[in-house]
Order: sequence, then structure tokens, then C-alpha cells
Amino acid sequence: MKHETKNDRVLQGVGVGNRRVSGTLRFFHRNEPSHKRSSVSLGKTDEWARLQDALNQVKHRLAALYERARRQVGEDEAQIFEIHGMLLEDEDFLEALREEIDAGASAEDALRRATQRISAMLEGLDNEYLSGRASDIRDLERQLQQVLFGASETDTTQEKSPFILVADDLSPSETVMLEKSQILGFVIFRGSSNSHTAILARAMGIPALVSVGVIEERFDGTFALLDAEEGTLTLSPTEEQTSLFSEKQKKDDRIAEEHDRYLRSLMNKPAVTKSGHRMLIYANVGSGEEVEAVLEAGADGIGLLRSEFLYLSADDYPGEELLFRAYSDVAVQMQGKRTVIRTLDIGADKKISYFGLPEEENPALGFRAIRLCLARRDLFKTQLRAILRASALGRLAIMLPMIVSVDEVKQSKRLIEECMEELKRENKRFDPKPELGIMIETPAAVMMCEELACEVDFFSVGTNDLTQYTLAADRQNPALTTLCEENTEPILRMIEMASTAIHRHGGWIGICGEMAADLHLTQRFADLRIDELSVSAPYLLGLRGRVTECR
Amino acid sequence: MKEFTYTIEDPNGLHARPAGMLATFAKRFQSDIRIKVGDKEADAKRLLALMSLGAVHGTNLTVSVSGEDEEVAAQELEAYLGEKMQNGKKRAEGTASNET
Repeated sequence: MKHETKNDRVLQGVGVGNRRVSGTLRFFHRNEPSHKRSSVSLGKTDEWARLQDALNQVKHRLAALYERARRQVGEDEAQIFEIHGMLLEDEDFLEALREEIDAGASAEDALRRATQRISAMLEGLDNEYLSGRASDIRDLERQLQQVLFGASETDTTQEKSPFILVADDLSPSETVMLEKSQILGFVIFRGSSNSHTAILARAMGIPALVSVGVIEERFDGTFALLDAEEGTLTLSPTEEQTSLFSEKQKKDDRIAEEHDRYLRSLMNKPAVTKSGHRMLIYANVGSGEEVEAVLEAGADGIGLLRSEFLYLSADDYPGEELLFRAYSDVAVQMQGKRTVIRTLDIGADKKISYFGLPEEENPALGFRAIRLCLARRDLFKTQLRAILRASALGRLAIMLPMIVSVDEVKQSKRLIEECMEELKRENKRFDPKPELGIMIETPAAVMMCEELACEVDFFSVGTNDLTQYTLAADRQNPALTTLCEENTEPILRMIEMASTAIHRHGGWIGICGEMAADLHLTQRFADLRIDELSVSAPYLLGLRGRVTECR
Repeated sequence: MKEFTYTIEDPNGLHARPAGMLATFAKRFQSDIRIKVGDKEADAKRLLALMSLGAVHGTNLTVSVSGEDEEVAAQELEAYLGEKMQNGKKRAEGTASNET
């Protein structure tokens, strides 16, 4: 592609993303360690201890960075910080450090020499991508040296208004630590569209231009136009260039607005397929704090409220009052929209110390969920009473997890009746006929779905567990991911059986596992007469749009 | 001792991320797991060592496993490499579809 370069101030690079931004350039400065390098060893033991201490501090910092990155840009891109953590624990790295210390080096020198050795080794490799990883090692060294010297972490200018950040290169940790709202765009001298900065920028939705070559620092503070679509940076643009640029920006904005408006227009409309099948678009929620976001995204209800959150964050069994307050809070906020509360789904895989559960060989097949609740009736009744009391304030439904038999449902129903009688005696209000449903997540429940359908008002299919138990494939095992992804047909046939059974008995059926969010399956779910799909908040609008496109 | 060979399919070779994942996976087994590329050899449980193999797209790896759980370890590693190490390819497809 050829660009008109009327002046030499138009720099060409590789664009990341397709947005256009204009703003002031600000050069990135690192806080280099302020003290002089210490080359005097305080003795092998002390220097080794200092190094260990620095390694530990950086390890903790990396864990925090991982969390931050995971929230900002997702699991995949955050993984680099996990890899960095592994490098710090790498035996070859530690051995190299140990050798230097034993030879009488200070912690700083040991670190410098060991990392030099390793990055030289990587740079010597005949592969651009791998030799590029030397920068990961240098990033780690910089972080470790900062800790050893007691320098503060890099501070990205105290600018008040957002700017375009210019840097020779940015390490992943530096990229993630930046205050996102301050950054209009990135301009990176080196790097490629594959570099971590580019990947992170893409994930953060910030336009970037990489591999533009060195820009002199006298341009700090200069106004510039960054066009990620065309891969150009225009320094001190002419009036003509600026107005052309803002026209393009306006056009971009119009397109973005239209798309946004289209999605928003769907928000408060029922999701109905072309042939007239209505599907409820519900949300999966992990705690009461998410309710607001879910309503804003236009959820018709909550298809799965994981009630574990109050138990996971506590040091001891939460009491009925605490549970009641949390559940009624959700019930009130939902303003009459249905909220399905799944009763305690806890076992050896989601460990809570005060439950005092023994270690299990096979937690996924173990003493958990309804099995635990029916064995510890006081615990179960406390939760049921809290849900029932909250049901007076909103439209709550109770859902039992991990059901394999009709007997488990009957036992649970008896306990619910007991709770109702107690509440009546205590003059406490509750909904006398709350909806009761079960999770369909075991092949046994599918095989017994006719009988189970007689007992309950609804089914909700937990496709994650149903897949794991049907395919006899551990979901945590990365070697089996493809197997699970490729074999959806058996699961879909099971869903068909369950759907037929519950509809025959006048009930309804939803899906609350990961499959519900898979837009390739929406048509199939509509064909199976699924009444409700429950997904996490970011998928709500897209799914609603997809349903309206279905036959 | 169990031995098998594997050809790298990730377009970027055995770079940091897949090497890190492989090292983590290898640590699940007791057996000593060594990976050979030409005349270079590395302990599969060590990330830097794996990276230093410089294995690029199309490189043939010879994996040898010896120890008490060598049978299972070799089987699972082979399956793991076959399924997971095409990550680069898959990710690229994933990104493309996300952007549309």
C-alpha cells in the first residue's frame, strides 16, 4: 500500500486494531534504580537471602498482575504472567543465580550476569519469535533489580488528560500496569503485531502502532494523528490532514453507533424466533453484586444464582439472617423477574475449610451438592428457610443440583415442607408455592426424566457437568478439551429427552451451562423447544440477537 | 523407557506459552521426561531448557519417558501434544471469528 507523504512527518508502522485517535504524544520513562549498582557481596548467605526475597516479592507482584490482566483482557492474554512466574521458579535460572552468588557476586551482579547469559542464549536461537523472548527475561530482570534497589515501580507520567503513549518497547507488566483510561493509543518503536504489547493493546481495545522506528524525544508533547487502520502516525499534522482525519473518525463513530443502537434496540424486546418460539434470555450470576449489571444488559431473569458465594467468603457457616438478607436483596432488585437460586453446590472440588470435608480421590464424583445437603439437614434447612423467607419479596425459584434419583427430590420436598410449617408457626412470610426445579447434569437424571418431571416445575441443564459425566472426560484435563468440544451430539440428544419429558408434564426447561452461550447451537435449542437460556452478562445481548435470527 | 516422536505444528514453534504449558503438564508425572531435537536435549519439566531447544514449526521432537508411570505419561503426553500444541493455529482462527 502506498501512502501520500506530503511531508516527512507521516510515519508508517504496523497498525493494531482499526481505530483512529488524535492526541498529544507522551514518551514513556522508566524509573531506573536510583542507587549505584552494589558490587560488594555481603556474604553468600546474605546475598542469597536478598535474592530470594526479591524473587518472592516479584512472584507476588506477578500473581497480582495476572489477576489484573485476567480481568482486563482475559485468561489467554494473562497467561504470560504465569509464564513469567514459572521462569522465576525455573531450576536452570536458579542454578545460574546460585553459581554467581557462590562465586562471590552480589545479588545485583548475580542477577545481571545470570539474566544476560540466558537472554544471550535465547537471542542466539535461529527463530525470531523465540529470540524475541529474551525481552521477557529482561523484563523480569528489571522488576527484580527494582526490588533489590528499592526503586519505586514505574510511574506513567502524571498527565491530567489522556495521551498517546510513545515507547521503545513496553513489557507486558508495564502495559498492564498503565491506567487504561489515560491511554488513547500506543506507539511502539519496535515490536511486531505479535508482540505482547500488541496483543494486550488489542485485548484492551486501545489502538496501537508498532514497529514505527525510533522517534526522537523532541517530539514529546507534539500533537499527532494515530491511524491504526492505515498504520500511520502523522506528527504535527497540517490543517488539511486534521480535517480529513476527523471526517474519517466521524464515519467510524457513525458505524459504531449504528451497531450499538441495533443491539440496544433488541434489549427490551422479547427474544422470539422467526417461527414464533419465545426464548427467555437469563443471566448466570455468582453473587448479588452482579445483579445491577445483569439488569442493565437486559436480562429477562436470573437462570442460575450460585448460592455458594456467601459460604465461600466466610470463615464459618453463614446464619439464616445473613443468607436471608442476601437473597432478599437480589429478589427485590430483580423487581418481579424470575430468579433461580441453586441450592448449595459444594463438595471436595470447591473446598471450604469449616465444612471439614475429607480429601477425596475423585471429588467430581464425590460427596457434594445435594448429597451433602441431604446428609447435613440443618445446613440445608438453614438455606431453604432463608430462600423461602426471601421468596415473599420477589419471584424466587429453588433449584437442586446433582440430582440422580426421584428419592432425592422427594426428600428435599419434605424438607421444604418442614421449613414452611416452621415459618408458619413463627409467623414469617414466604411464597407458599415457589417453583421447584432440578439441575439436569447427570446421565441418571436424563434416564429418569419422566419420573422427575412429575415431581418438579422445571429442569435446567448444566451442560458442563453433563458433558463431563456423559463422555467420562475430566473437564480440567487440557488433553481432553477437543474431545469435549467435538462431542456435543450425545448431550443434545439428552437435552431432547429431558425437554420432551418436562413439556409433557407442563413444565419448562432451561440451559445454564457453557453451551447456552454457543451461538452455533441456538438454532438447535430453538428446535428442541428450549424455553430459557442462561448465560453470563457479556453474552446476553448477542444471544438475544441470535435468537431473533433463528427460524 | 517409552519413546515417541512429534512434529511441531504451532507456527511460532515451541515458544514461551506452549513451552510453559508443556512444562506444567510434564510436572504431573513422576517419570523423567526428556525431549531431543537433533543433538540438543532438554528436561521437559524445565521451561528455559525447553525454550532453549529453539524448536520451530516443523521440528521433529523425540520424547523419551522413563520412570514408574512411563506408560501413562507417554500416552498422555502424546495426546497432549497432538491436541494442545496446535494452539497457534486454533488461536488464530479464534481471533478472526471474534472480530467479525
